[in-house]
Parts: sequence; C-alpha cells; structure tokens
Amino acid sequence: MGRVSNRYVLDVAQREFLTVLRTRMLLLLSAGFVLLLAGLSWLGSSGAYLALIYDLLTPVEVLVPVFAFAVGYRSILGDRERGELETLRTYPINSTRYVLGVYLGRAVAVLAVVLLGLLVAAVFVPLAESEQLSVIASHGTVDSPALYLRYVVLTAAFALVVLAVAVLVSAAARSTRSGLALATVAVLALVVGLDSTLIAALMGGAVSPGGVDVLLAVSPASAYRSLVFGLALAPAGLSVPTGPAVVTSTLGLVGWLVGALVLAAVLAWRS
Amino acid sequence: MRTVTLVGLVVVAVLLVAASGFTSAPAGEEQFSPVPFDQTLKSGLTGVDIQQAEEKDYAIPKGQVFYGQYQYVVGFYGTDSLVRGATQQRYTEQFGEPLGIYVTDYTGTNPTLTDGQYLRLSNSAAQTWTRAEDVYFVIETPARTPGGPTAVPFGDRDAAAAFAEEYDGEIVDWETLKERQPTTGNESADRLNAPTEQRQQWANESVERARETLDRPVSVTVGEDAETIEAAIEQAPPNTAVEIPAGRYTVDLNVSKSVTLSGAGNRTVLDGRGEGTVVRATAPRVGIESLRVTGVGDTELGSPSTDGETSWDKSIELVYGRGDAAIRLSEAPRSLVENVSVETSANGVIVHNSTGTVVRDIDLQGSDTWEEGSMGVLAMYSRMVVEDSTFDGGRDAVYTHYSNGLVVRDNRMQNMRYGVHQMYTSDALVLNNTIRQSNVGIILMTRPTGNAIVGNHLRGNDVGVITVGAASWMTENVAVDNDIGLSIGMSRSVVHNNTAVRNEVGVRSATLLPTNDVTGNDIVANDQPVKTDLGTLNIWTVGGRGNYWGPIPGIDRDGDGVVDRTYRPSDTVDRSAGDSIGARTLAQAPTLGGLRAFQRSVPGLRPSSIVDTAPLSEPVHPDRLDALNVSTEAR
Repeated sequence: MGRVSNRYVLDVAQREFLTVLRTRMLLLLSAGFVLLLAGLSWLGSSGAYLALIYDLLTPVEVLVPVFAFAVGYRSILGDRERGELETLRTYPINSTRYVLGVYLGRAVAVLAVVLLGLLVAAVFVPLAESEQLSVIASHGTVDSPALYLRYVVLTAAFALVVLAVAVLVSAAARSTRSGLALATVAVLALVVGLDSTLIAALMGGAVSPGGVDVLLAVSPASAYRSLVFGLALAPAGLSVPTGPAVVTSTLGLVGWLVGALVLAAVLAWRS
Repeated sequence: MRTVTLVGLVVVAVLLVAASGFTSAPAGEEQFSPVPFDQTLKSGLTGVDIQQAEEKDYAIPKGQVFYGQYQYVVGFYGTDSLVRGATQQRYTEQFGEPLGIYVTDYTGTNPTLTDGQYLRLSNSAAQTWTRAEDVYFVIETPARTPGGPTAVPFGDRDAAAAFAEEYDGEIVDWETLKERQPTTGNESADRLNAPTEQRQQWANESVERARETLDRPVSVTVGEDAETIEAAIEQAPPNTAVEIPAGRYTVDLNVSKSVTLSGAGNRTVLDGRGEGTVVRATAPRVGIESLRVTGVGDTELGSPSTDGETSWDKSIELVYGRGDAAIRLSEAPRSLVENVSVETSANGVIVHNSTGTVVRDIDLQGSDTWEEGSMGVLAMYSRMVVEDSTFDGGRDAVYTHYSNGLVVRDNRMQNMRYGVHQMYTSDALVLNNTIRQSNVGIILMTRPTGNAIVGNHLRGNDVGVITVGAASWMTENVAVDNDIGLSIGMSRSVVHNNTAVRNEVGVRSATLLPTNDVTGNDIVANDQPVKTDLGTLNIWTVGGRGNYWGPIPGIDRDGDGVVDRTYRPSDTVDRSAGDSIGARTLAQAPTLGGLRAFQRSVPGLRPSSIVDTAPLSEPVHPDRLDALNVSTEAR
C-alpha cells in the first residue's frame, strides 16, 4: 500500500493547502503578517542586515507562533467536527500519514508566508541606504546578507516546530471551544510560559544556573533564540548571549517537532 | 501537478538558497586594502599640530582602522591615538572590533630626527602601509610629533633595529604597544568636569599681576606738566603713570616704555581722527585705563582669502592682524587695558605676541553690520584674559589665533557674527559669557583640543555653540531661543549639564565619530530636541545616567532619578510623547518595547540617530528651567 498511501499523503496535503487558501481570514492574516514584518523593517530603517535581525528577533518570536497556530489549530479538529475523520478512516491511509499530510499542507502555507514576510523585510535594507560620504573611503563591514539568510532558515525551522505543536493541539481537541482554549494556552506557553517557568525555576533555586543552559533548549522559543544568537549573530563578531550549544538547541527543536507529530498521530484517530 | 507540490517546491527552493548562508563565511575575514589617508575619517592630534608638521615637513606616523561594524575607514594621526582607537571600549562599542589595522611603514624612508627631535623622512616616497600585526614599533626614542612622543613604525625588522640602534630605542610589536598604552586620566569619573578651576586661577593671577600697573604713582599730568600726551609719555620715567584729565585729545600714540595711561573715564577722549591705529604699545607692562578711544581708522582689510601662495593662517594674520585698531599691543606682555570704551568700525584691541595681557571692563561699540566691521579683541600668539567687557556689533567680539590657554570670561556680546571665535587655539576657557542675537555665539575651528566652554548664556543666535576638535568640554551652558542651541562636532569630548531650551533644534550632533560623553543635559521645550547629520547611532548615556528630556514616556520605578525606559529623541513616537498624552500612552505599549529590544545593538551599522538608555526623570538644573519659565509638565 506504500506508494498509494504516499499519494494520499499528498492528496491530504493538497486538500489542507486549499483549505488555507479558501479561508479568507487566514489570507487576511497572512497579508497582515507580511505587512507587519515589512513595516517593522521600514520603521527601523535598519540599513544593515545585522541590525534587521536584531530588530525582527523579538517581534518574530511572538508573531510566528501566533500565525502558525492560526493556520494549524483547526486542521484536524475541523475534520473531526465535520465528521470527515470518519470518512477518511475508510480510506487506505493510516493516522500517521494523515497527520503528515495535514502537517505538510499547512506547513507549505505557513512557510510561504513566513519566507515572503522575511524577504520583503530584507528588501528595505538596501533601500534604506542613507546619505553616503563620497570623499571618505568605505569598506565591507561584518554585515552580510548571508547572516540574514541564516536567520531566515532558522526562523523557518522555528515556524515548522510551532506548527507541529499547533497540529498536536488540533488532534487533541475535541470541540471548537476546547481547541481554542488549548491553542491559546499553547501559544502563551510557547511565547512566555516555558521561559517564565524556567526563570521561576532559576529564581526558586530549583535549577542551577548551569542547568539552565540545557533546559533552555527545552523551550522552543529559547532554543530558536539561542540558535539565532549562535549562528547568525555571533559569527559577525558580536558579543551576544551564548545559550545552549547549537547541537542541544537543534535537538530541542527536532524533539518538539517529532514528538508533537507522533503524539498528534496517536491522538488523531481516537474518537 | 498539485498546487501544494508546486508551492512546496518553491518554498524548498527558497530555503535551499537561504541555507547557502551557512556555507559562505561571514565577512570580516576578508583582507582589506589600505586607502589613501586623505580618504579616511581623520582623528587624533590637533589641526595646529598637523599643520605645523606639514609646514616644516615633519613626519607623523599614522594608522587606519577598518572596523567590523562601521563602513568608513577611520584614520588616526599618531600612534597613541591609533592605539586608543584600536583598544578603547568607546570605539569598539560604537564601531565593532577592528578587523584590519594598517600603519605607516617607514622602511626605506630613512627617517632621522631633527634638532627638535621631530621625525623627518629623507625619502618619504618610500612610505607604505603595513598591517599593524606585521609592524615593528621603535619606542623610547626621543622621536616626537608636534603632539608629543611617538613610536616609529617599520615593516622591516632590520630597518627598525637600525633606527633603534641609532636613537637608543627599543623594538616592540603591536600587541606590546597596545598593552603599554597607559589608560588616560580622561577615562576616570571626574573627566566630566571641565578643568575650570585651574584655568580660572591662571586668569586670576594674570589679572592681579596686570592690574599692578594701576598702582603706579602719577609722575606727569597732561596739561600741567606736559603739553601733549606724547610729551608726557616722553617725560614719564618707567613704572609711573601719566594722568590724562578730561578732555578731547587728537593723538597718534606710540607707547614704547612701561607706563600707565590713566584717564578720567569717558570724559577723557583719545581721537585718532580716522587715521590708522590710535594707540600702539610696544613695551611690556603697559597700562591703559579709564578713557575713551574714537576716530579709529576704518581699514579692516576685509576677509582673508587664499591666493594660493599664502597659507590660510598667514593670510588671516595679515588681513586681521594688520587692520586698524583702537589699541594695538605688540610685544607688550602682561599689559592691561581696563575701563576703556571704544567706538570702531575696524578692530578694538589687537594683542599680538603679548602673553599675560588682560583686557577687562571695556565697552566696545562696533559696526552696525558685521561685514563692515572687524574684531573686538584680537588675540594673536597671546595667552591672555578678556573679562567683564561689553561688545556690541562688529564682526567677532573675541577672535583668537594661536593663543592656547587664553581665558574669556564674564563678557556680554551681541549683534555680531561670532561672539568668541577660536582659530588654532587649544586649552582655552570660555566662561560665563552672555552672547545674544549673533550668527554664532561661540565657535571653535581648526580641530583644537582641550577647550572648555563653560557656563555661557546663549540667546537668540543662529547657533549657540559650534565645536570641533577633540578632548574638550562643553558644560553648564544655557542655550535659549536659538535656531540651533548647541552643535557638537567634537570627538572624545564631554557635553555635560547644559540647558537647551526653546531652540528650534536643541542639540545638533554633527560628529561623524560619535565618541562623546553626552550626559546630564536638560534638553526641553525645543521644537526638535536633537538633530543628527551624517553619522551613525549615538548613545547619549554615561555610567547609567543620560539627559533630561522633559515629560517623556516611562516611569522611574525605583526612584534612582532615571526613567526605566530608553528614550529616542530622534524618533517620532518618542518625540511626540512630550507634546501629547496620547502619544505618551502609546509609547508605553509593550509592542514598542518588544520592537526596540535590540535596537541599540550594532550602532555603527545603523543610520544616524540619538538614543538615551537612561533618561533622567528630573531636570539637572530645575532653577534654570524655572527662571526661563519652562514647564516640565506634560501638555
């Protein structure tokens, strides 16, 4: 059944993708997301890719989870509520492949918007060219589009991870109301909750400052931030906070991605 | 093909392209190539030092630095300033780490020392640029630049050894040279305070000494013991006074002995009948007091220009220094001009080569428009004191030319081009002057160092103060109702505890090398608090204390006098917050905080703007604001 059900995965993905395209609210939200990033870049008139990374870092850390959840939290839940899950189960497709298809379809949509937003934001950097002193020799600085590209890749990875969590929420929820509540809780947890817990644990003495290094990788937002610091900013010779090692952070993110999808697959078929 | 596959492929393609960012090494390891020194942003030494070196053909070792986060090449005159630029935190914080440093390489130039221990290159064409890491520095020789001792750089070890051998020096590498640099006193906490007191003390002593000429006994009285003033001076023994009773005297005086001319105040009038300079003095310790000078010739010779042959400073000397004057002191050190009133459409008092001279309590009425007039007091090669005087009209009230260390204090100046105009003058003190309705209150030119502009009151001028140069102080000044209050064009300098109120622009930042300490200033109720010209992001906070900007967003939660929110006077939202409660509420939005979380980072790569990370919650000088009727309440 392998090849056939692989095709089904793409069928499901296509269906999910079209669902996103047909949901007017999501289209509006996507446009808003892109405009917001563009606006941030324009307002900051950073003039340098490094400066732009700094300017976008915190807003993107909040906006990406919100956007990914908006796209993802109704996915499986919608099928369940409309009773389509029952129909799907009669097809030759298992829950893993179904969840994978859902995830892929939504991921393409999320990534397309996130990448578009980040690229539009970058357009303002060369445009922000301020007055130049022609009599003074200028030279290349540590600033480079390559660093921004790294940031784009890392942000895309972060978006994939939070989308996986969104799909998990969608698989776990049993009603619109519980779905909304779960999604809200999850976004809050991702954006502030996990980090706040860590801070509290550190203040309460439950973890040692050394332990925080590793635990930071447990919070997707912190792991993502550490990776940006370590891979996009530190190479430019900037003194930035060094969080957990790149490997630990990457493992943290991959763990969330895989764990969330596996759990979603387990929960999806349960009725 | 399915839409999702298509879009998916595009997404993957974009991600693959983006992932190439991981394969390309970040910039910074690239090799820079040195540029002609003329094309760098120059720093270090004074304009005078450099000019002197160029005139006499002395060599000054130079460096150029390529900073990681600053696109312009910064050039340094002298090895001391180069080391400062490469190591001091204020440079690295602002511009990033230096990625490439080049030093003038004297290999093959055959450097020797002149009698004055200045460096001279017999073959300066052989001079090249070499990476600092590959340079051998010869130190501890007597070699110097006009700015002080210097290390002498060679790319070739043998050349360095030869020079070290000849002049008894020692060879060190770049790392060692950096370590040897003493941390200058400038970095300590008290660097915010201008050296007012010691300069005041010198002025007090000079005034006291010059005023001893007032204690001379009267030996001749004009009209009683002698017919004319000329005859009276002829007759008077040195160190005595000539008494000039009330009356109008037509004179063309030449005082060539140490006597005091003592009038009866405004009723004693010396009239030059419009012919040339009225009183010339060419002896030390001449006193001229309590009289009035009119009928000064009107030769002011116009503006200096460069004809290509005469250098700019020579031409100034010729044009300004040779014009007519009410009183001209030449080779007359420690002389005194006191309680004299002058009407002139040329110069008032020219002081040439007369260090220790004091001009005080004079009342000068200059031309109605500055184009027709000239200088009130013109100090040339004279460390002197100008105090307690009034200047109205004319070109510049006090013009200084190579007069390091002079003191100008407690004067009133109005309706002219420049109040105090310093050329080629370092280490001066300009204190407590009131300057109004002029083009510029106080202006420093020619990149001097060590000047202190303290406690002046500037009102209704086009620009209150314009500064250039380095290592200077602009403190405790009050600028009100000017088009531009204070204009900062200096580097490594202090701008502290000034008040800028009701100007169109409170403070203008005109420096390309933002390395100043700007703190404790009250900048309130200006149409625009700050204006930045070319340049990058400036942080106006020192040691956790910034400036007072009036009612701004943010609260001082812990009562330490500092608002817990960064203020950006060059930013529209923050700036409007002073004028509208709505904007202030908006400025408190967490969104703004999030957006700005990192906006101070990489300052050298950002467009020019001003950031105060610790704005003050209370004015530093509330009394001044009260006196000026400036409300610090939100509108």
